[in-house]
Amino acid sequence: MVTKEDIEHIAKLMRIDIENSDEYFERVKKILGYFDILDKANIEGEEVPVQQVAIDELRDDKYVAFEDPLIQQLKNYRDSYVRAPKMN
Amino acid sequence: MSLGISAIEYINGIKNGTITAEEFVAKTIEHIKKVEPKLHAFISLNDNALEQARAIDKKVKAGQNVGAFYGMPISIKDNICIKGGKTTCASRMLENYTAPYDATVVSKLNAQDAVIIGKTNLDEFAMGVATEFSAFGPSKNPWDTEYVPGGSSGGSAVSVAGLESILSLGSDTGGSVRNPASFCSIVGLKPTYGLVSRYGLVSYANSIEQIGPMGRRVEDVALLLNHIAGKDPHDPTTIDNKNQDYLSGIDSGISGKKIGIIKEMSSGSGLDSTVASVFKNSISAFEKLGAKIEEVSLDMVEYTVATYYVLTTAEAGSNLSRYDNLRYGYDLDSEGYEFKSYISKARRNFGPEVTRRMILGGFVPSAGFAGKYLLKALKVKSKLKKQIEAAFSKCDFLISPTVPVLPFKFGEKIDDPLAMYLADINTVTANLTGVPAISVPYEVKNGLPVGIQIHANLLQEKQLLQAAYALQNTTKLPEVPL
Amino acid sequence: MIGLEIHCQLTKLESKLFCTCKANYRGFEPNTNICPVCMGMPGTLPRLNKKAVEKATMIAMALNCKTPQRLGFFRKNYFYPDLPKNFQITQLNLYGPTSIGEQGKVSIEGKEIRIRRIQIEEDPGRLIYEGVSERTAITLVDYNRAGTPLVEIVTEPDFDNPRQVRIFLNVLSDLLENLGVSDPTLEGAMRADANVSIEGGNRVEVKNIGSFHDLEKAIHFELTRQTSLKERGIEIAQETRHWDDKRKITISSRSKEEDEDYRYILEGDIPWVIMDETSLQGWKKNMPESISSKKERYVSKYRIPAQVADVLSSDKYYSDLFEQAHDESNAKEIANMITTDLMGLVDTREKREQSKLAPKHLSDLVLMMNSGKVTRSSAKNALQEIVKTGKSVSDIMSSIGLAKISDESELGKIIDDIISQESTAVQQAKENPQTINYLVGKVMQKTKGKADPTITLNLFKKKIGI
Repeated sequence: MVTKEDIEHIAKLMRIDIENSDEYFERVKKILGYFDILDKANIEGEEVPVQQVAIDELRDDKYVAFEDPLIQQLKNYRDSYVRAPKMN
Repeated sequence: MSLGISAIEYINGIKNGTITAEEFVAKTIEHIKKVEPKLHAFISLNDNALEQARAIDKKVKAGQNVGAFYGMPISIKDNICIKGGKTTCASRMLENYTAPYDATVVSKLNAQDAVIIGKTNLDEFAMGVATEFSAFGPSKNPWDTEYVPGGSSGGSAVSVAGLESILSLGSDTGGSVRNPASFCSIVGLKPTYGLVSRYGLVSYANSIEQIGPMGRRVEDVALLLNHIAGKDPHDPTTIDNKNQDYLSGIDSGISGKKIGIIKEMSSGSGLDSTVASVFKNSISAFEKLGAKIEEVSLDMVEYTVATYYVLTTAEAGSNLSRYDNLRYGYDLDSEGYEFKSYISKARRNFGPEVTRRMILGGFVPSAGFAGKYLLKALKVKSKLKKQIEAAFSKCDFLISPTVPVLPFKFGEKIDDPLAMYLADINTVTANLTGVPAISVPYEVKNGLPVGIQIHANLLQEKQLLQAAYALQNTTKLPEVPL
Repeated sequence: MIGLEIHCQLTKLESKLFCTCKANYRGFEPNTNICPVCMGMPGTLPRLNKKAVEKATMIAMALNCKTPQRLGFFRKNYFYPDLPKNFQITQLNLYGPTSIGEQGKVSIEGKEIRIRRIQIEEDPGRLIYEGVSERTAITLVDYNRAGTPLVEIVTEPDFDNPRQVRIFLNVLSDLLENLGVSDPTLEGAMRADANVSIEGGNRVEVKNIGSFHDLEKAIHFELTRQTSLKERGIEIAQETRHWDDKRKITISSRSKEEDEDYRYILEGDIPWVIMDETSLQGWKKNMPESISSKKERYVSKYRIPAQVADVLSSDKYYSDLFEQAHDESNAKEIANMITTDLMGLVDTREKREQSKLAPKHLSDLVLMMNSGKVTRSSAKNALQEIVKTGKSVSDIMSSIGLAKISDESELGKIIDDIISQESTAVQQAKENPQTINYLVGKVMQKTKGKADPTITLNLFKKKIGI
């Protein structure tokens, strides 16, 4: 059973401030509880499905600069750096 | 000149000189101004639309090469990037975001002289079935503005149903094109996974979603598909469709074809009785068209809603991680914050549904839960694929109601996410298996539209559109009460 | 027990792993080698570089790894400002073997080091910290490096001591250079983290180590720290520690356990690549000759001494020069010239980049030497000039006059001068003929090495009568 603490832990991991209301936790628990239906599915022997391509379809190794100045619309700091908050 | 003409009629009108792009676009803009306060289909409008239409008229007059759309107004869901323009995903996180490049579908439309009339409203980051989760307010169903238009491509559906554009591009992750098409009584197609490039479509659940064409007529949707489909070097998941023409032979009919009714989507307690009766009528119509009907069972469908939400929330949690407000986003000074608290604070600008799905998406692949949720969901997806393959070895098409319920009123499901998720039961299978599916408007009962969903096998869009076209011609829909 | 996680950039590629920005980001102004794809702008999709798959496969093959039938990519999810998407596209074997290599091995000095896994992944951007105190600290981010193709090599904990680690890293560095996939001498091109544990203790991961030199120190420090804890009966915590470059110690990092849950999911935007046998065989065939095979060939075919062959084969710059300059007749001399005379002139990256020397210079010089036209010591002087100017050997001979002096009358005059200046040495030479070399050396000095040593010696002997 998923606990309130589990949800808070995941929220931290996802960098999300969640509302601290019982109603909120109950809703999330209810959905996760619904996911438990998967335990009933007979999926023995199934493998993880993936799309596939041939090597030849991969991109050739060529340098082409992206020259559109729109890329420079980043939040710039001191001309060209991006600023992040302090790390600790 | 009626704004309600089809795309084909528009093109013929331009070609024989009875209308000009400028006139049509001007009239469309005028109409938008009139109905938008009521419908709210758009998040932003193209200020240069008239100018672009004029330039296309000039080319037409001068006898120059003109692209296939001849200045036709087409709307685009606001999670598809247009270079230099705002792409908000209906989120406060991206309220001021300007895309530095064009989505492939946008380049293709521009190359064919479409006039992109505006960017349409959606549930934030395409997560929802009602546009109620748009940060900029919901769109309204033109059939009755008390009702939701469906979602997440609700704005696109409203713009087409409300005559604010001839065609629209939406995106469909679990029914987001087909659901609002059904609720607004228009046509919406979810193509085979990989048929249309996703380059420039802001990802929600990238392994199953597709951009899809929406229009008032099946042939219009075929025309739009003709010009957006095909392999794109920018999207490694696209497949070569050999430039197939989906419009030619669209009236071929479906006599002798085998149609399977998907049992798990067409019966049971979740199915509204009105929807059930409309669906029954459509089955009779298919029979009259000469198709052979049988029932097929896909027993994995029972698990598809859970599977869909496990897979999509896991991908959404990852896809939406990039919105940390450091490189782009909105103004929020990082002074005085440390990294973790800043990001968490910045991400408060996500709405409640996106936040909830990211929480779920954090759970399902996490160390303690990946085996319980994610791996099982992937295996259900695998088995479902096999089941639908087997069904298509017997049938040409598989049908169901597009949505098991009628359009509902605003606020009716917003507080019960699980009930809302269950409304996706009929649409998610096409996404999980990659097969194409279309919603065809069939009846409007007591003022509320009901659509019929047809699936075809992978890359069988041509056949699928023929079946949809045949069905369309068996019904006469009322005019939208604008 | 020590295990390594080595990150190596594929610096020889033209473009990044998933976009067309430059793979070698060095020399760009901050945030100018970026595009919507490597910046993870909304709606962009990764496009896997074919050459990166080829080169990484060569590394896997060179390290005797198994290569997968299908290559799969996953997302490693964690928030960090140097990651534009807040996930890193990488590989692991979550659903079967899909990383570029696994279960390899390398021998160093008779010790087998097992390779657990090799994976292709994208390099993050770079963080630059400014400000002195916590309060004024500012983090700046430069994304030029983001998306640079990386190969991560994970070893089993097979190293017994820091010395083995050093030898292994040297071997690996030479191997990567020899494959032509990377230039490991570029700053930041090759980086390593270490897992260190002692008997009965938990595993400690040491990160943030700037150089291989420091890696050795860090491992040594960690072994000592752990041993001392054990002696005092204190449990060794399983944790990640950072190397403090200034204080030369490891420090427990504050990152909590919650950050270690990477929530791996499939990268659906990159279909799994079918590694067909034809491509694999083709790449295998195109792999450059291995260092050990080169060495063996140099010794057996040209009778080059093992030590010389070792130096020559393990340095790609030298062996490339050798391969292009030598033929059957001059191999040994070319090898000698490279490993003795040339070495000091081109021993750093900068010198190599500036050097104007071409293989033909070497073969021309050896030819001159063999035909008696220049002395060995003149040849050495000529090399200096060639590296600097790139002039042809014949031009140098005439312009600065390096041709050997074998004219007896010319040499005779010089010898006469020296006999008059060095009377003590002459006297010594008469008593002990061995010391005549000192006088011959004086002639060499005066002629800048151009004097024919044999003629000089004979003439000297005659003149002083021994």
